[in-house]
Amino acid sequence: MARLAQVRAGEATFVERREVFQNERGSPLALESSGRLSFAAPDTFVRETLRPRQERLAVQGNQLTMSQGGRSRTTTLDSVPEAVVIVEAIRGTLTGNRELLERLFVPRLSGEAARWTLELVPRDARLRGQVAQLRILGAQAQLREVQMTMSDGDRTQLRIEPVAP
Amino acid sequence: MRRAAAWTLAIWLALMALAGLIAARASYVADLSAFLPSAPTPGQRVLMEQLRNGATARVLLIGVRGGEPAARAEASRRLAARLRESGAFDAVHNGETGGPQQQALGRLLFERRYLLSPAVDAARFQPEGLRAGIDETLSLLGTPAGAMIKPILMRDPTGETVRMAEAMLPAVAPRVEDGVWVSRREPRALLVATTRADGDDLDAQAAAQQQVRAAFAAVAPQAGPGLQLELSGPGVFAVESRALIHAEVDRLAKAGGAVMLVLLLIAFGRPQALLLAALPVGAGVLAGIVAVDLLTGTVHGLTLGFGTTLIGEAVDYGIYYLIQARALGAAGWRRQHWPTVRLGLLTSLAGFAALAFSGFAGLAQLGLFSISGLVAATLTTRFVLPVLAPQGSPGLGLRGPLGRATGRIAGALPRLARPLALLAAGAALWLALQPSPWRGTLAALSPVPAEAMALDASLREDLGAAEAGVLVAIEAPDEAQALQRAEQAGARLEALVQAGVLAGYDSPAQRLPSPSAQLARRAALPEAAALRQALAQATAGGPLPAGSLQAFVDDVQAQRRAPVLTRADLAGTPLASALDAQLVAPRQTGAPWTALLSLRMTPAAAADPAAAPRLDQALAGLPDTRVVRIQPELDAIYAGYLTQARWQAGLGALAVVALLAWHLRSGRRLARVLWPLAASGVLVLAGLTASGQPLGVLHLVGLLLVVAVGSNYALFFDHLAATSGTAPADGDDAQAETDLLASLLMANLTTVASFALLATAQVPALAAVGQTVAPGALLALLLSAAFVRVPRRAGV
Repeated sequence: MARLAQVRAGEATFVERREVFQNERGSPLALESSGRLSFAAPDTFVRETLRPRQERLAVQGNQLTMSQGGRSRTTTLDSVPEAVVIVEAIRGTLTGNRELLERLFVPRLSGEAARWTLELVPRDARLRGQVAQLRILGAQAQLREVQMTMSDGDRTQLRIEPVAP
Repeated sequence: MRRAAAWTLAIWLALMALAGLIAARASYVADLSAFLPSAPTPGQRVLMEQLRNGATARVLLIGVRGGEPAARAEASRRLAARLRESGAFDAVHNGETGGPQQQALGRLLFERRYLLSPAVDAARFQPEGLRAGIDETLSLLGTPAGAMIKPILMRDPTGETVRMAEAMLPAVAPRVEDGVWVSRREPRALLVATTRADGDDLDAQAAAQQQVRAAFAAVAPQAGPGLQLELSGPGVFAVESRALIHAEVDRLAKAGGAVMLVLLLIAFGRPQALLLAALPVGAGVLAGIVAVDLLTGTVHGLTLGFGTTLIGEAVDYGIYYLIQARALGAAGWRRQHWPTVRLGLLTSLAGFAALAFSGFAGLAQLGLFSISGLVAATLTTRFVLPVLAPQGSPGLGLRGPLGRATGRIAGALPRLARPLALLAAGAALWLALQPSPWRGTLAALSPVPAEAMALDASLREDLGAAEAGVLVAIEAPDEAQALQRAEQAGARLEALVQAGVLAGYDSPAQRLPSPSAQLARRAALPEAAALRQALAQATAGGPLPAGSLQAFVDDVQAQRRAPVLTRADLAGTPLASALDAQLVAPRQTGAPWTALLSLRMTPAAAADPAAAPRLDQALAGLPDTRVVRIQPELDAIYAGYLTQARWQAGLGALAVVALLAWHLRSGRRLARVLWPLAASGVLVLAGLTASGQPLGVLHLVGLLLVVAVGSNYALFFDHLAATSGTAPADGDDAQAETDLLASLLMANLTTVASFALLATAQVPALAAVGQTVAPGALLALLLSAAFVRVPRRAGV
């Protein structure tokens, strides 16, 4: 955690795979996307999806901006609790904000510095009804993978590849 | 003579009874709108609509404070449920989602989504558009937003539901924790309730507020310990202002009455005289209320508060008569002193007449009340008191010593004339060098205390409903055109958002597209066969097979016949209160509809003076569309108010001078009378300026009153100086003069006392008048005694 708090800025590429169960029958829909992630202390986080279509999600402080297909909407992050869970799981981990993570989640850290796993379960029962659990896998001060399990069984796996500065 | 006297009394009593009846049935109000201009500019009209409009004025802001977060959230849910059940509220919002009302609204919007979604046009249903829509929707699956989409994916594969939600997404919304709105800074949960009752129905507003308090008292103990209720909003302000003004008027009337009682007892030493002296007061107050009610329709609470000072002035007339008639008899008094009293009345009337013609209903009421009150009080003194007490009042009270003391002081004061003149000149010079103290604001007229304003601002900030700084106001003959013009303005504003001038804007058309936009979308919906064909192309190779999307094709077909959604369809839904505040229906037939778009400037643009003209340019040429900058408009209202009041006060003062000149017919005597008045005005103004408080319209009214009231004193001294030179003093004259001085002092003390009481009022507007007139009247008396040199005589 202390080491994470020293991260000032970073760039990475990502590949995301989602498994979405449409209904009781049939195999899950598999969706893949890729793009860039960037972070700048203290609180700016941008996820830019390049494939299959351009999309941008930027968080700066409490301001959430979503852009796609030439339109852009801004709102306050903390008025959308579902977004808070996802953004803060990553941003809070990157900034090593233990107090924030413990307020929002029941965290469980395992492994060692070279390969650690942080399990985050939302404290709010209402939110657990949507996002069941997040797992963040890391090595030293780097995030390498974010796994999210929705309460209906949908799964998302985000692999992160740091770009050397 | 006896018969004439009986007739006089009978007529007077009948008039008073009639006035009492009218006054009892008059409607009393206490809102601030009386102090808004009656002939506003278009920008001001928008503001006043905002202040008076149903939707905005019906909002109650509720905070649940203290205790544990979980307890606050629980209390918020229980309170909201209870208020929704009560039936007294059109809507109660606390951040909870998924309630039955919201679900019903969701279904309604879903069933018209192809008319409402901003993404719908003919291209949307070509293979390319379908593919883009489907791809975008798929990209949300597997995220929390996807959880909402998944159940409707096959009916809405292009994500029109998401696009509608996106269009309505506010740029600033309250923080949500534990499923309810909470403050970002304070330990507080937030609710917003819209009362069913109109904003100007204060009794119903008070009842609704009481309902919130009772509901909170019932649910708070179940939720947890340490919870408190916070309540604000226009209705709360209005109800509390009314209560405050009522309490103040009551207090002032009682305290004023008590002070008069004591002074009259000192003056006469017998209760009979007291009753007599109260008659002009009663007549004056009744006449004031009746005149204001009959001519303006309502009586403002502030007018009544101000009216209590009439007690102090009207009682003067009674005192003058009862004391002076003792030596001269009624006929002698009419001959010798009535002309002076009449002149005093005329000067006061000249002062107030300027106010009565004010374009601001509040000021006009003050003027009207005072004019009719003073006339009634004077007429009562002139015609009724001589009937009831032909020889004045026999009681002497402490008048002998009072008169002699006044005589000694009056004799000593002229020695201070030079230092006082120097002081006044110095004060005038100092004033000329000071920055203008006329910095009062419209808000300073409001009796709402600063803490209540701070609570309101803090609740609004938490809710993201801060008073908008810049609005675009659009007028149109009907709902459909108002929305259409809002869409046209929105298109221009969108360009400014892209250019970084605006962070965003809220438009009613984002919640409810205009009928023409809805019809255009409906016309773009394809027939089933064409849609199926395009869909087959769009989904080829994609994860959603066209065959599974039959429900989508059916929905599109169904909505090709769907009626357009209007404001009436949204009545009673959670969208209604927000929409009603943005799309304002006319209050009377024939008046225009108004669409209000609130703008959020980016911080950079807000600091850049070049951004403002860009906004005006962007909207140029749109019909009946104007940019309204709230604070400058409010400042302009007040500046106009102040300018107008200055003109009126100046004209009033000029009328007083003209009257005096006509009566005195001597430049030297006119100067002698005006000197003390001008000097008192300057000294009071210097004192107020030195106190550092911003001065406003009511200080100006106060200064006018100083001139009107003070001229009476100066005239009396002038009268003394003019007569004492001609006739040699005998015993009776000496007694009459002592009595005259005593009556002057008594009259002055009652005036100063009643205005000093007013100065302690918690209603700033009333306090301002009191703080100006109380010292001003006292100074006017002292300076008159100092500057008008009365030849000294033995025995005085």
